[in-house]
Amino acid sequence: MAKARAIVKRLKAVKNIRKITRTMELIATARFKKAMDRASEAAAYTKKISELVADLSQANLEFHHPLLEKHETEKNSVLLVLTSNRGLCGGYNSGVLKAALKRYKELTASGQNVRLEVSGKRGISFLKFQGIAASQTYTHFEDRPTFEEVDELASRYILEYVEGKIDRLDVAYTEFVSASRQQAAVHSLLPIGVLAESVKETETAQKYDYEFLPSAQEILEEIVPTAFKARLFKCFLDAAVSEQIARMVAMKGATENANEMVGTLSAQYNRARQSQITSEILEIIGGAAALE
Amino acid sequence: MAQEFRLLLVTPETTLLDQSIESLRCTLFDGQIGILPGRMPMVGRLGYGELVFYSADDGTESRYYVDGGFLQVQGSVISVLTEHAIPVSKLNAVEAEKLLEEALARPAVGDEQCDARERDQRRARAMLALSSHK
Repeated sequence: MAKARAIVKRLKAVKNIRKITRTMELIATARFKKAMDRASEAAAYTKKISELVADLSQANLEFHHPLLEKHETEKNSVLLVLTSNRGLCGGYNSGVLKAALKRYKELTASGQNVRLEVSGKRGISFLKFQGIAASQTYTHFEDRPTFEEVDELASRYILEYVEGKIDRLDVAYTEFVSASRQQAAVHSLLPIGVLAESVKETETAQKYDYEFLPSAQEILEEIVPTAFKARLFKCFLDAAVSEQIARMVAMKGATENANEMVGTLSAQYNRARQSQITSEILEIIGGAAALE
Repeated sequence: MAQEFRLLLVTPETTLLDQSIESLRCTLFDGQIGILPGRMPMVGRLGYGELVFYSADDGTESRYYVDGGFLQVQGSVISVLTEHAIPVSKLNAVEAEKLLEEALARPAVGDEQCDARERDQRRARAMLALSSHK
């Protein structure tokens, strides 16, 4: 009897866990949809900005902005790592952290002072374990990062970059390519390389002869920080969406595994029960035969 | 003459408004501008201040506080790109006052910080002025 009991106990535990992972999967799915909606709504802004940049660049202007210019010597850089606050999301955090660590080592090897800023409890504890000190940590970016929160960071980076306190800003996060593909990536956001990179051939659009107030150049200069903020915000949104997808996939796998385990465990239990019954019958028959 | 005239108010988080309007008035970097249907295409930099438009359906007036950004008129579509847009009725005078006081009291070193401080002051003043004229 002892063996069958033990199997029943395990079976119950597995079923309970399956319930939990299944629920987590459903929650992640709902959150993913919400995050995705937010991300696609936010895309309108980025699209408009790049449209404006495209319109402005038709004027073929020479313009300078401190955020576009590379500093002569790169000494101080900032590496912003976006991870999640919660675990159970598969390889999401490890992917980002691996990429971040690689860039961190590259930067320190080239003799730069790297300031690490980490968002998300997972990343914070990982780096603590690695013995790398992070100068700033954030845990308030959940699955709904707001522009205001990101703006605060972005404004600080802009100010520091313009003042020359930092020479470079890298962001390690999970890039959202499509619903079925996300990849950990490290992107340099400052200095802004090419402003118009996101402007694909939109030549089909009608060309307008704009009147610029104040002037095309001044507007472009004003757009640069806005474009940077929009980009940083996009990183946060991407990370949020990818986290939910990763969790969804991980929990789906876990539920499937639990299902499989429930199957094998119940087969095992049935077999154990069967053999127990058989042996009991044999005992009875044996006992009866002995009495004759 | 009923001409299609549409206003898109876009913030980084969402498209706040997408509706037909009769006319629009908003604050550019150097003063107010009024836009009627058929305006020549333009791109302008917004200042901190008011955005007023009249709905095409019933002519009701709507007022928003807009926190800088850009204005683009493209044919019959006006796009307003801004970081924050708050309906004037939701502005909080007390908070705006606090912002202004903070900006006035803040020490600033160097050109950038001075600029930032001045910008914040202008912003708070615009908010304050609007919230007291609800």
